[in-house]
Amino acid sequence: MFREMVGGLRITLREMMTKPITIQYPEEQRPVPPRHRGRHILHRYDNGLEKCIGCELCAGACPVGCIYVQAAENDPQHPVSPGERYAVRYEINLMRCIYCGYCAEACPTEAITLGPRLDLADYKRERLVATKDDLLEAWPGFHPMAQGVAEGRGAPAPQTSPLGAGSSHQGPAGSAPGLRPPIPGSRGSGGGAAPI
Amino acid sequence: MDDEKVLTRHLGAPGLTTVGGYEKVGGYQGLRKAIQMGPEAIVAEVKASGLRGRGGAAFPTGTKWGFLPKDVFPRYLCVNADESEPGCFKDRVLMEEFPHQLLEGVLIAAYALQVTHAFIYIRGEYRFQRELLERAAKEAYRAGYAGKGVLGTKWDCELIVHGGAGAYICGEETALLNSLEGRRGQPRLKPPFPAVKGLYGQPTVVNNVETLSNLPYIVTEGGARYAALGTEASPGTRLFCVSGHVERPGTFEVPMGKTTFRDLLELAGGVWRGRQFKAMQPGGGSMQVLGPQHLDVPLDFKAVAEAGSSLGAGALVVMDDSTCLVDVASRLVDFYRHESCGKCVPCREGTYFESELMHRLEAGIASRAELAELSDICANMEGRCFCPLGDTATWFVMSALRMFPEEFESHCGAGRCPVRAGSEVAA
Amino acid sequence: MADASTVAELVNISVDGRPVEVPPGTLVWDACEKAGIFVPVYCAHKKLEPVAVCRMCLVEVEGLPKLQPACATRVAPGMVVRTQTEQVRKFRDGNLEFLLLNHPLDCPVCDRGGECDLQDFTQRYGPGRARSSITEKVHFDKAVKLSDKIMLDQERCILCWRCVRYYEEITGEREIVLQERGVHTVVDSFERQPLQSQFQGNLPEICPVGALTHRQYRFRARPWDLRRTASVCSHCSYGCNIFVDAREEQIARYASNDNPEVDDSWLCDQGRYGFPELNRPERVINPEARVGGLRQAVSYQDAVARAAGALLRVRGDHGGTSVGVLGSPRMTNEEAFVLQWLAREVIATPHVDHRYEPLEGISPEQFRLGIAELEGCDAVVVIGDRPERLSPVLTLRLYKVANKLGRQILRVPETFSAAQVVKQLPAAGRIGIVAAQADRAAAMGLRAKAGSAGREAAVLTITEAVNSRGCQDLGLLPNVGPGYRSLEHSGLFGRQLLEAAVAGQIKALLVVGDGADFEAEGLFHEALAKVDVAVVVTAWQGVASRAATVLLPGRTIAEKAGTVTNTEGRVQRVRTAVEPKFTFPSDLRILGDLAAGLGSDLGVQALAAPVFELLAAAVPAYRGCQAGLRAHWEPGS
Repeated sequence: MFREMVGGLRITLREMMTKPITIQYPEEQRPVPPRHRGRHILHRYDNGLEKCIGCELCAGACPVGCIYVQAAENDPQHPVSPGERYAVRYEINLMRCIYCGYCAEACPTEAITLGPRLDLADYKRERLVATKDDLLEAWPGFHPMAQGVAEGRGAPAPQTSPLGAGSSHQGPAGSAPGLRPPIPGSRGSGGGAAPI
Repeated sequence: MDDEKVLTRHLGAPGLTTVGGYEKVGGYQGLRKAIQMGPEAIVAEVKASGLRGRGGAAFPTGTKWGFLPKDVFPRYLCVNADESEPGCFKDRVLMEEFPHQLLEGVLIAAYALQVTHAFIYIRGEYRFQRELLERAAKEAYRAGYAGKGVLGTKWDCELIVHGGAGAYICGEETALLNSLEGRRGQPRLKPPFPAVKGLYGQPTVVNNVETLSNLPYIVTEGGARYAALGTEASPGTRLFCVSGHVERPGTFEVPMGKTTFRDLLELAGGVWRGRQFKAMQPGGGSMQVLGPQHLDVPLDFKAVAEAGSSLGAGALVVMDDSTCLVDVASRLVDFYRHESCGKCVPCREGTYFESELMHRLEAGIASRAELAELSDICANMEGRCFCPLGDTATWFVMSALRMFPEEFESHCGAGRCPVRAGSEVAA
Repeated sequence: MADASTVAELVNISVDGRPVEVPPGTLVWDACEKAGIFVPVYCAHKKLEPVAVCRMCLVEVEGLPKLQPACATRVAPGMVVRTQTEQVRKFRDGNLEFLLLNHPLDCPVCDRGGECDLQDFTQRYGPGRARSSITEKVHFDKAVKLSDKIMLDQERCILCWRCVRYYEEITGEREIVLQERGVHTVVDSFERQPLQSQFQGNLPEICPVGALTHRQYRFRARPWDLRRTASVCSHCSYGCNIFVDAREEQIARYASNDNPEVDDSWLCDQGRYGFPELNRPERVINPEARVGGLRQAVSYQDAVARAAGALLRVRGDHGGTSVGVLGSPRMTNEEAFVLQWLAREVIATPHVDHRYEPLEGISPEQFRLGIAELEGCDAVVVIGDRPERLSPVLTLRLYKVANKLGRQILRVPETFSAAQVVKQLPAAGRIGIVAAQADRAAAMGLRAKAGSAGREAAVLTITEAVNSRGCQDLGLLPNVGPGYRSLEHSGLFGRQLLEAAVAGQIKALLVVGDGADFEAEGLFHEALAKVDVAVVVTAWQGVASRAATVLLPGRTIAEKAGTVTNTEGRVQRVRTAVEPKFTFPSDLRILGDLAAGLGSDLGVQALAAPVFELLAAAVPAYRGCQAGLRAHWEPGS
């Protein structure tokens, strides 16, 4: 009996000596597997042009209908994306999304992928409708995907609350004049008005 | 060859391009006789002659005339002088040497069909010939053979010489009519056939230059005599243009059916530079290729058809043993790609596809799968196009592929043309 | 007897083993359709002559060595057609390979992606994958602005010629031509001159691919985003049948919905591109009422009660004739009928009208001729250019009558001499007279003159707005009652009514509908300012909504259900294509509730169907017509 007790305690004692597996989230975060399907990212080409052409195939492929896209015509002088068409509004209802990745599958330009970010919680439903500003890769020269994987963090917003899914768009993208078109229409880009 | 000539019988007579010179050798007697005979008798004589269209389709001329609906006037006669078949230059000879013989033929046909307007649609590139014909037509007007009250009769006949803008497809009769009307040179949907609804929506006959040039002889000498010059199946004589690798290329008039390809080759001085005969194309660029085994085939519609080709427009292109048939096919397909009118899908896109593949094949960078693809494309074009141009764009390629398969296969993946690389480049 | 002879003339053919009987001269394509067998086509179009250029419809005909184009081959007795053989299948596959060879495959950015025949047929009959080593394509111009309405993408074009033939055969304008030849063939406007036709909007619709697209609809939506509703174009009184395609309760585009009796599948650009008018944001969205001199939002029930109370008070103080009722020619028949009932029976005023200018001397006889019946006329006289300006699609019908059917079209100025015109007409036969409603007297004069000269003549009057005809038929006029019934006491016409209001004789106005006819008139403004009570039911913010003492939110024609009557008397359904941004009752129910507030009951539910039964009982000509039939007026009624 004593032997059994010692045998059981040995495991306990041994584990006392090892480093704990639990980490101090959110201060500490574990690296996310490279193919993790977290919150979506809209990518850019190296020259800053958006890859998304507003074709709505992601919305068409989406099994839960959580993507809303409104396309518009590029101004040839100040194009947002290569070619004739770009997405003037791009919204994903993250509450409805099932993170299946069909949108990335359907995308003809590899504009949308599911990223590493998994801390998707908020106190307001409206903020869980991600707008294009939220989803778009920052520019210039900032690749949230690479950064996120390397640091094991949910990118791309070092200066914002990790909880604020809908409020993390103050990246340097806004500092690229001419690339960001004004959003026409009375509804604006506010997540709350998304007719999903 | 001392057979009787029909079209070139006056060759060498002085001043043939003028009315006076032509009249001296009996010119315009046919027209006078025709007017005495009356329309029905002329048609009967043409039917008796067994004359068949010389443009390529070889349709019996008399029968074609018979398709015109009775009592529908005005009706028109169009002369197809849009000679643009690769390897074909017989109409040019007829227009250059015997313009009045052609005009006389046109007038005879016009009288037989009771036509008051005859249009000569001449190929755009034939500028000199066009001017010559226009001059000849003016002379014919002055001499009273054309215009108001031809030869004192109540019959008026206007001769209009119209130049094309340089399109192979306008040799197709309905495309010719479109072009003549000032529309895009593209073939029309048939039916209605031109005999019912042709130029400006009226009954129209379209005949080839050579066909009509036979008429003065047929009317003066009789249809039976004309027919007897050839064989029963292929009556009369015919002009053949021999070109390619021969010593003396040119146009030769030979009786149909009684002459073989070998005779024709001999007339042209045989294969040049002492080389060996490899292949020939008997009907101009469109027709299927024939090999040495066919040299003794007589120039007879049926015999040539049995050999797997056609006499077409009467052109013989001879190729010697230095020729790469893939190269020839590639060039011919380029021609069709350039000349496709763009109306129907299989021809417009098919000739493009075909020519791109042929380029790869000739450069030796195509695979065997692409060779199979080529056959498949041709099968999707032949018989599927709007007009015969698309079909003909496949005929040479397909026949060459059948007859010389090893030559095509040796190109696959060779990295260069194996035939031309082995021999000196032909001058 | 006649039937027996036609049956005897039918030709029996078999398509894929299915026997089918068709009249001689039928195209094999149509026979296949009758047999229920689909044959893919690009170049063929029901309204255009066959050209057989796309070769997509090649089928096997027994006894013929080559495959035959089903779109251009006519049936022959005993013909055996096969559309599913290996030969046909292989060629369809090959032909699609040819078509895709130089196609840019930019479907993701193409407006036709999702409703493109090239996509669809490639899915159904195509090769499935590319085998070609030829990857370089022939390039042409993209995003060519052919006009302010049409965008051309030459690379996507499959050269079916439909646009070229449309201009040749349907409008006669020939603005698009084919250029170059062979694989370099392109369609373009001649020398890139901007298109000027008023019927350009039909081009993208007949284009089988995304070569010609609407600039207005450019990148607006994907076909799967759209909800399609069959309705009637509200631009004019012609009543063209349309599909309203809406995305998120905004109209995204109009598409034609072929009705051979009316539009023959063509729309005019004014109609097709005119819908942004209905998408405007300047809407009335809340019931409001003036409470103690200040207008404020109130509940619907409160607004109706206030409106009824105010009208009752005016009627009590000054009599029913001190109330004026104004409708709109953009109301449905049901609303028009209920409004005139509300005015005459409930409020007891004769002063009811739907338009500003007076309309006198109208009768159903002025609308005797149907639009499609123009094709049966031996000659058509068009008085002035007003009819064609009011209803542009009429031009295409007239072109068809002249060009395809070879009939005489006589366009005469408004000031014509009937005797002179009759002299130019064929000696006998049926004469059609087309006139704007303003010229109805001249048209009827010509009809009488032609009639006395031995011709059978009938008049087609073109009214102005989408339901002008319905408002007239149903008596939304001060001088005639429903069904052109004569009245004991005529009321004041629209303008006189407003003048009377300014003069103080009219104390209250009930304005229902969009008010567009009145909004531009200064008199309307003055009258509204002058009257004690202005009850306004309108969709739009404007003079009326601002001046209203009680304001109720109305609906646009795209938000309504009901029927409208086109100028020839055809009663056609409009359906709710988009929902308004509010949830208040429809205009029809507002009128019913107002009547209830005034102490009367309509007797039926205030819904389109029961109200139509009610109006058909009052106007027998309308009985059973709600599904698109012409109201049948007894001659001389």
